[in-house]
Amino acid sequence: MKRSRLIAASVAMIATTGLLLSGCSAGAADTGEKQLTFMFRGGEDEKAAYTTAIKAFEEANDVKVKIIVTTADDYSTKLKAAIAGKQIPDVFYIAQGDIQAYVNNGVVLDITDYVEDSDTLDLDNIWEYGVDSYRYDGSLVGEGAIYALPKDVGPFSFGYNKTMFEAAGIPLPDVDVPLTLQEFVDISKQLTKDLDGDGELDQWGTGLNVQWSLQSFAWSNGADFLNEDRTKVTVDTPEFAEALQWFADLSNVEGVTPSTAQAQTLDTYQRWMSGQIAFFPVGPWDVSTYADLDFAWDLIPYPAGKTGESATWVGSLGIAVGSTTEDPELSAKLVEYLSADVTAQQTLVDAGVQIPNLKDMADTWVADSTTPPANKQEFLDIVNDYGRALPANNTYNAEWYDELFTNIQPVLDGKQTAADYLKEAQPKMQAFLDDANAQAGIG
Amino acid sequence: MSTEVLRSKPRRSRLHRREHQVALLFIAIPLIGFLLFTLYPLLYSVYASFTSWNGLAAPKFNGLDNYIKMWNDPYFLKAMWNTLFMMIGIPIGLVLSMALALGLNRKMRGTTFFRTVYYVPVISSIAAIAILWQWAYNGDFGLVNQVLDLFGIQGPNWLADKDTVKPALIIMATWKGLGYSMLLYLAALQSVPRYLYEAASLDGAGTWQQFRNITMPMVRPVTFFLVVTSIIGGSQIFIEINIMTPLGGPEFSSASIVWYIWRQAFNNLHMGYASAMSIVLGLVIFVITVIQFRLNRRNQFSID
Repeated sequence: MKRSRLIAASVAMIATTGLLLSGCSAGAADTGEKQLTFMFRGGEDEKAAYTTAIKAFEEANDVKVKIIVTTADDYSTKLKAAIAGKQIPDVFYIAQGDIQAYVNNGVVLDITDYVEDSDTLDLDNIWEYGVDSYRYDGSLVGEGAIYALPKDVGPFSFGYNKTMFEAAGIPLPDVDVPLTLQEFVDISKQLTKDLDGDGELDQWGTGLNVQWSLQSFAWSNGADFLNEDRTKVTVDTPEFAEALQWFADLSNVEGVTPSTAQAQTLDTYQRWMSGQIAFFPVGPWDVSTYADLDFAWDLIPYPAGKTGESATWVGSLGIAVGSTTEDPELSAKLVEYLSADVTAQQTLVDAGVQIPNLKDMADTWVADSTTPPANKQEFLDIVNDYGRALPANNTYNAEWYDELFTNIQPVLDGKQTAADYLKEAQPKMQAFLDDANAQAGIG
Repeated sequence: MSTEVLRSKPRRSRLHRREHQVALLFIAIPLIGFLLFTLYPLLYSVYASFTSWNGLAAPKFNGLDNYIKMWNDPYFLKAMWNTLFMMIGIPIGLVLSMALALGLNRKMRGTTFFRTVYYVPVISSIAAIAILWQWAYNGDFGLVNQVLDLFGIQGPNWLADKDTVKPALIIMATWKGLGYSMLLYLAALQSVPRYLYEAASLDGAGTWQQFRNITMPMVRPVTFFLVVTSIIGGSQIFIEINIMTPLGGPEFSSASIVWYIWRQAFNNLHMGYASAMSIVLGLVIFVITVIQFRLNRRNQFSID
């Protein structure tokens, strides 16, 4: 009797498994129509823009596109689960920093031939930075075959509160010549004041987040995070220490930032939007929000350190083709639509969440004086001339880079000197970088 | 063969047999679910913990390397310590929820209202709560510091200071869990037989003695349940950490072990290492739970 029950149980189990499996496969059953999956993350604006692009693509190519959309937080987890489960989507977003690892492990497809000979897309009309970010030649990112096209490029620019300058009678900063660090501090000091006379400051020069603004000051001071071939961490140079120390001193010595703002932008972001901060970073994704501010604002180049050349970073997100796709050509074509479809780009630009991927569209956008900021050209200059990739985007993973910021708080609080801290941090960062390079099979 | 066996037993009717088969089918569904979605991943992560695996390509066996690395990884030890530290909130939460339950167990007006108030955080989404508290803890504008300011206290920048970030998270977790524990205690309190209190008061026992010798032992099963589940839940604290301190807090001071595992697996492509850490975490939780069950058995009694 026991035995019979066991047998019945196993029969039942097999039967149910069969049911489950057939139930699963029924969803993906062949209906004769071709189907591609597209996995991405994003908000309403992206969804709206892509719906039109995808519809156009479906009609032009007689194919169905199945959309999988996740929240920004969930995306990397869900994508990696899909990859580990050997269910790589045909087309998906890829983070700029993941390109090396994904190519090395055969997750994404080389789409160079498709996009170079494409009739839907003119590669020369897309930002070089956007395309080059997804080139990889087996050892260095930035050169070689193309593995993705940009979803967007995100130049991290610098803004100032025009109304505040005018009220204080300070001449507006030049849009072409960057301020020196000293000029920047001087102006910030003039603008840090107690307006209502209650003995407490209620207006400040600036309030920057170390994680997003340190790069700019380090670079323009002649320092860098890595050497040319990305094998050595170079944060222990005097130039780097000088930049970081200057950054920390903005709060601790010069006193031009709100007191508790060093590590959190939440405070200063709110203060900037309520008109209490003179200088603040501006990305294309901020433009729609900042359009409603009560004061006038505009873009200027980041203040420059010793080199006199302004520097900042450009983010990007790519759209790649999964290596297991059944139809590489069609998938590559979908990537082209998503990256460069005129209607979709226009929708995204109108929503104020990104700058156009297409150069000719960007020119019209810059010339449009009806929407802020006046100096939109600064965004394009960053993408074209002086913007760089975030340091960890060209390496196998970001562990070495994150290490720099993990223990940085004492420097920002003025409890440790920048030089001391960087000397301590460099060997730890180097160890993580060596490990990453070893995993990538280079260096 | 099986049908013959069944037929040789005349007592079993056809209906009985059919029902048995249907029952087995019902059992099969969760069983398959367990095998496929719990046991298989569990065994696979045990295997993965002995490999070098980036989560993209096939895992490569590397013996005990991950476990040796873990032992020498200061961030692993720190994350473990942080997780342990944040469990201080568990006893605090139990005492508070017991006090609340005692209060709300009295016959007075407005108890339903207060029960609802305390239960609202429990049913709210943890992500929403984390964002809410992130604002409340804001050093400059935050509600917490504004209230402290009324009393002339200059509050810290809670989430950006390595000494206050863990207490801040503990306060939030306690607040969130309070309603749930309170409700369970309330139910337990109401099932304590009245005659025990009557008998005790006839014998001259005061309020404290009654509480100490009747209430406490009678709600012990609930306390035990809460301690076990809170420790298991507390060791897996993740969402609030990830939302409120996305980089693990100043000087890694709020990074929990699950947060570190997640980061290694999905951001740094160390899926093998992350698997090894999660195996260790699983074992630690298992051992603690076994010890708790042992201790509980020793303290058991009945009132028959």
